[in-house]
Amino acid sequence: MLAIENLSTSYGLIKALKGVSLTAEDGKVTCILGPNGAGKTTLMFTAAGILKPDSGSVKFGGAELAGLAAPKILQQGLALAPENRLVFPQMSVRDNLLAGAYIRHRSEAKQVEEDLEKICERFPVLKERTEQTAGTLSGGEQQMLSVARALMSRPKMLLLDEPSVGLAPLIVDEIFSIIRQMNKDGISILLVEQNAVKALEVADHFYLLDQGRVAFSGTPGEMANDDVIKRAYLGEH
Amino acid sequence: MDFLQTSLDGLLFGSAYALLALGFSLIFGIMKRINLAYGSSLLFGGALAVWLEPFLGGGALGMLLVTVFGAAIAGIYVERLCFSPHLGKTGTMASMIATFAIWMQLDEISSQLLPQRTHGFAGIDIEAISFAGIIVRGDHVLHFWVAVLAIGALYWTLYRTRFGLLLRASADDPESAYLLGGRVGLLGVATFAIAGFLGGTAAFLILSSDGQITPHFGLWSTFKGLVAMMLGGVGSLPGAIVGGLLLGFAEAHVTFYLGAEFRDILTFGLLLLILVLRPGGIMGVDVYRTGRLATERI
Repeated sequence: MLAIENLSTSYGLIKALKGVSLTAEDGKVTCILGPNGAGKTTLMFTAAGILKPDSGSVKFGGAELAGLAAPKILQQGLALAPENRLVFPQMSVRDNLLAGAYIRHRSEAKQVEEDLEKICERFPVLKERTEQTAGTLSGGEQQMLSVARALMSRPKMLLLDEPSVGLAPLIVDEIFSIIRQMNKDGISILLVEQNAVKALEVADHFYLLDQGRVAFSGTPGEMANDDVIKRAYLGEH
Repeated sequence: MDFLQTSLDGLLFGSAYALLALGFSLIFGIMKRINLAYGSSLLFGGALAVWLEPFLGGGALGMLLVTVFGAAIAGIYVERLCFSPHLGKTGTMASMIATFAIWMQLDEISSQLLPQRTHGFAGIDIEAISFAGIIVRGDHVLHFWVAVLAIGALYWTLYRTRFGLLLRASADDPESAYLLGGRVGLLGVATFAIAGFLGGTAAFLILSSDGQITPHFGLWSTFKGLVAMMLGGVGSLPGAIVGGLLLGFAEAHVTFYLGAEFRDILTFGLLLLILVLRPGGIMGVDVYRTGRLATERI
């Protein structure tokens, strides 16, 4: 379980997170909604160790992660697939995936190869393109690669930052079916998403982040009935 | 026959240029910035070798080791002082200007190590090889094989090891490489050390084939390395090799047919030509077609 408590992070003088508390249960899909600038990506970056929090705690499986460096956090089993699909454009798809398994020990080389095979089964579009450089992939394919690369470290929990942004509806459907499948395979997921309608299909619990604070927390049913969310995120009047 | 002889001489000497350019390109490909103190680090290695020689002995092999390690240490010094404090996007200009300062400093230190300006440098005595009417200098053949070995070692490191994977990943996107668990903080040091090894080897080969060293060697190797790198394609490793060989080839022919005084005119003429016709370099990305510089490649 990932338990974030009273987390504050700032960029210089600007406070992006002002005491955020939320939990993501094991084996569940937890979704964070929120407008641009709400602090969603800051939250993900702080949890993954790219940004250092001013205060607060990030506990994962009982261990305190706040303030640790990104490599240490990844070793604890918390992996981030960042927004805008930051794949390595000049490297082959295969090397991108191998880079995802970088923290795994040398002695695991054989399992890494097996995982590479499995991942290619799960993402057939990547299998056809293992030797192609990642920069030549389409946006959707790069997003798949970004998720696949994060999976190569064998995380217990995956942090997914807006996996559907800028993708065609059919690709978005595919991404969400992959999310569902990964969750079925036992990976817990913390998902940041703007597409609330799609998120409703997969998430077990919702949080709404607004201006660096948690503005709402509830089940999908409660969320779908909340007036503010209905208007702002589900497009109902 | 003259043509064949000159071409072969040029290509063999060009292999040292290729090594020189590889060091430059490696730094540019990974750090995305120019290291103006590169040639001076190599000069420092060579000057240190000459200065230490009376104390250490060891002949040509000893001088090779001191040159290579001296260049690598000077490279690490440059990285710590000029590159690691300015890693952000805004630091590009700061680190380039800082390397200019260190260039002057290293040149000055090397001058102090070489009080008589021109000092002898241990040559390698290998008998010339002749076949079918063509004669090549033995040490030039050695150049070639050392360059092949060094290039092979570099490619093996970059494409067959975990460290190489991390280095390439970090060149593409340092933040993502960190996110995937790579300890990227010391990659700069490693890059400069490798570039120092490559450049130091090239410096030793060139100095021992000339049989002498002067304090001008730093500026000379910065120019040759830069030109060879830009001919081939900035930041592209195959480009550095092609650029180095091409430069050696062209210089040999101009020297043979027009005389040595035309050599540097040709060097910079070639640079001008390539910058006008194909700014990304021979192997680099076509800037006009893709709207992107070759600096994004390694």
